[in-house]
Amino acid sequence: MASRKADVTAAAVRRHFPGPLTHEALLGVVVLVELGYFAAAGSNFLSAGNAAEVARASVEIGLLALALTPVIVTGGIDLSVGSLLGLAAVLMGAMYRDLGLPMGAAALVGVLVGVAGGALNALLVTRLGVPPLIATLGTYSLFRGVAEGFTGGVRNYTDFPAGFLFLGQGRLPGGVPAQLPLLLAAAIFFWLLLHRTPAGRGLRAIGFSPDGARYAGIPVARRLALVYVLSGLMAGMGAAVYAARLGQAKADAGTGFELFAITAVVLGGTSIFGGRGSVPGTLLGLLAVALLQNGLRLSDLPAELAGILTGVMLIAAIGAHRVFSERSRG
Amino acid sequence: MNLRLAFLLALAPLVVTGCQRGAETKGQLTVAMMPKNKGNPYFVSCHKGAQEAAGPLGVKLLWDGPTETDPAKQNEVVEAWITRGVDVIAVSVENKEAISTALRKARGQGIKVVTWDADAEHDARDLFVNQATPEGIADVLLEQTARILGGKGSFAIITASLTAANQNEWIKHIRELLGAKYAGLTLVDVRPSDDDRKRAFDETQTLLKVHPEVKVVMAIASPAIPGAAEAVKQSGRADVKVTGLGLPNASRPYLKDGVLDSVVLWNTMDLGYLTIQVASALAKGTLKPGQTSFTAGRLGPLTVAGDNVLLGQPFTFTKENVDHFDF
Amino acid sequence: MPRRSVISRLLAHHRREASVAAALFALLALVAVRAPGFFRAANVRDLLVGNAPVLVAAVGMTVVILARQIDISIGSQFAICGVAAGLLAKANWPMPFVALGTVFVGALLGAINGGLVAGLGLPAIVVTLATMVMLRESLRWATEGIWVQDLPVGFQWFGLGQEGGRFAVVAVALAIFAGFAWGLRRLNAGRGVYATGSDPEAARLAGIRPRRVIFGSFVCMGGLTAFAALLTSIQFIDVQTNAGVGLELRVIAAVVVGGTSTSGGRGTLAGTLLGVALLGAIGPTLTFLGTQAYWERALQGLVILVAVAANAVPMARRSGRGVS
Repeated sequence: MASRKADVTAAAVRRHFPGPLTHEALLGVVVLVELGYFAAAGSNFLSAGNAAEVARASVEIGLLALALTPVIVTGGIDLSVGSLLGLAAVLMGAMYRDLGLPMGAAALVGVLVGVAGGALNALLVTRLGVPPLIATLGTYSLFRGVAEGFTGGVRNYTDFPAGFLFLGQGRLPGGVPAQLPLLLAAAIFFWLLLHRTPAGRGLRAIGFSPDGARYAGIPVARRLALVYVLSGLMAGMGAAVYAARLGQAKADAGTGFELFAITAVVLGGTSIFGGRGSVPGTLLGLLAVALLQNGLRLSDLPAELAGILTGVMLIAAIGAHRVFSERSRG
Repeated sequence: MNLRLAFLLALAPLVVTGCQRGAETKGQLTVAMMPKNKGNPYFVSCHKGAQEAAGPLGVKLLWDGPTETDPAKQNEVVEAWITRGVDVIAVSVENKEAISTALRKARGQGIKVVTWDADAEHDARDLFVNQATPEGIADVLLEQTARILGGKGSFAIITASLTAANQNEWIKHIRELLGAKYAGLTLVDVRPSDDDRKRAFDETQTLLKVHPEVKVVMAIASPAIPGAAEAVKQSGRADVKVTGLGLPNASRPYLKDGVLDSVVLWNTMDLGYLTIQVASALAKGTLKPGQTSFTAGRLGPLTVAGDNVLLGQPFTFTKENVDHFDF
Repeated sequence: MPRRSVISRLLAHHRREASVAAALFALLALVAVRAPGFFRAANVRDLLVGNAPVLVAAVGMTVVILARQIDISIGSQFAICGVAAGLLAKANWPMPFVALGTVFVGALLGAINGGLVAGLGLPAIVVTLATMVMLRESLRWATEGIWVQDLPVGFQWFGLGQEGGRFAVVAVALAIFAGFAWGLRRLNAGRGVYATGSDPEAARLAGIRPRRVIFGSFVCMGGLTAFAALLTSIQFIDVQTNAGVGLELRVIAAVVVGGTSTSGGRGTLAGTLLGVALLGAIGPTLTFLGTQAYWERALQGLVILVAVAANAVPMARRSGRGVS
């Protein structure tokens, strides 16, 4: 959808702003502006305690956003991650409380449920050729529905052992939230996958042109299956962190998480059309939204403003990319 | 290089203008109050009552909460308030177990914690401003239903969402009381409205056809009352009545019509008003544990039962008295 | 070339619509056997009236998806348009002008999306994700959840009374459906939508203006969402300010289940009608069959998946592609 006027404008802008103005750099500036503004306007915004709590609350969404990055890079999407998190959480709770499994085994079951859900998405997309938007729209309802059916909507799994709750509520030496190393490990994994392996390059090729990738010898179906299964795996892991943080597992766990995660990924510079994406960008995008929400709260400003400003940031992000990118896709 | 300088220069005025957050006057109490979700007229009226109390008491009132019923969001708001530093946190609890972790942390940092409308775990808060226990609410609802049915008959419930914690607790007590106290009544089905009036309308419409023996529809979410009442009205089934929990303004037309028999509630503005009175007295030390009575401004002396400050009895709105209220 | 009967040719060209029709038929057959009360006149009438607004919105979504776009902000647009209708009625505008005003508001909201997508070339899903959040949060902030109440008596049923109003709602929805079905097929603008969706470059070379078509499809979507909000609001005596949550997913599912392809250029409004009917029937049929409410969402998800998987299998086999 190349528009000539926009291209001319883009070229003009590029002439006036020399140097590599990458998307991450711009986002980094936004984060700095937020830090600066809220440090002044909010109470105790820049404290270590606040930083720890913002990090703690962002881990589950962060895991989902990291997994969504390669999915969106391939030109796909996964709307079911929040629902899958809910399903994994209640099944994990049921394993522990109703079947008496030790907590570690129950958490593992939760993770496996995530993997199974991801595998279902993979099957629908690769074997049955269902477009990812629609496949995951269906599983979005299915996973949440099974969680509701299984619990009757009513059952709430609580009373997890203290050791498990430490994962979500505890602090490591130095004040670091206990779940943060998990997010960092996942970030390193996905960064390596997307930016340092041939598989990652293959994902970008698939996003750019699935047929071209196939002709180039990339095993498209296998790569796609991988990213959807990884997405499910992250949902399962997120479920364990969620249940540990809140101390409960109910059928509505993870409601709305998918939108937050997709926002972080797109803000971070990953193109929704596929072919281009960045894990550091996703983390920056997540940080930008989390800081916005937290900063507004600490400045006694209403929660609705966070949503509105996030929407503005999203449009600015894709708008800026349209102007600054070398190659305009459409 | 020019670019980076430009951005840094742009930051400076933003930082300066950012220092305009409303400063607190010294000695002013800050009470942070959170509803289950902000977009519900029920909580809007509680907010009004709270504002009424905050002014004369010199309390700075912070009002924030989830805009949708998100089970995890309440925790994040409490965490932010702990970081910000407030004197009292007052929460209408959506998820008892989840929020208690955060509330205990707040208490550990010297912040007073009050729950209102819906309680947390007992060790997570100093006091609970109680307008009605879940058992009490269930009992009043069944009482109304039994009266309409003449002690014997079938009814159905339209609830909020299937996972709504408070509604689920009321339903649990309703089922228990059916066996113990209201043996002549039969609960036929429980349908969700997801806090959407149209959904409540559709579910009630279908319900009336699938279960023609149902003569009372008990709607226990505020958007569900007008939805269910409109459905019964449009069906022309004069033998079916609606009751439940709702707000007077939304219920008024249907109460006048006769479709809606009665609506159980309490004065939500008084609830908000009392919450701020309690929060303020608690922070100032004028309300101490072990007290059995508390004088709450214009509400007069109220009973304190253990760690519960009792607002009073649930109130039943009917055709006759609904005009006296505006919320 | 062997001669095929009309029926088999019809089925081959409309495989997707045929499979949705089959699913709908199977569902209705099941309920006919187990709970025939479903087919009583009062129930059928209520289902028609209840789903008419969804059909109207689905018509708009079909146009948008045919143009290879998507709009996930219609739930928020629906809420705003409902509030607009209520406020205009409270300001004592005559009902026909209330309707016009509401549709204008909807078209304006659609134009915002259209401007960003067609004008600036931004991806539709992200733009409408942003507008979805911005619109709903702004509305919440402004109204604080307070319903628009004390509307004039003529608001409900457009002043036509219950029987007349119900008839009007269904008639208007069907008229819109028929009008768009005819327009998509016969008008140049309609064919332009199909052309733009299947290949914008080819369309441009053929003299169609893809950006204009895309802008128009979003404006259309906004206007039709406003109609849907109007048709819903007038069934009641007041307006809920937080309505329409989840509408976009319901409508997109109906359109997609009905056979419209998200890669653009392929689909029919007949399929959309079937999709709306199928998804609208699931809830009530399950209630008639005695299913517990907490299994409904899972079954809906299952129906969506089976419907789209059944559509997709022949595709995958034919073209040998794993991803559309």
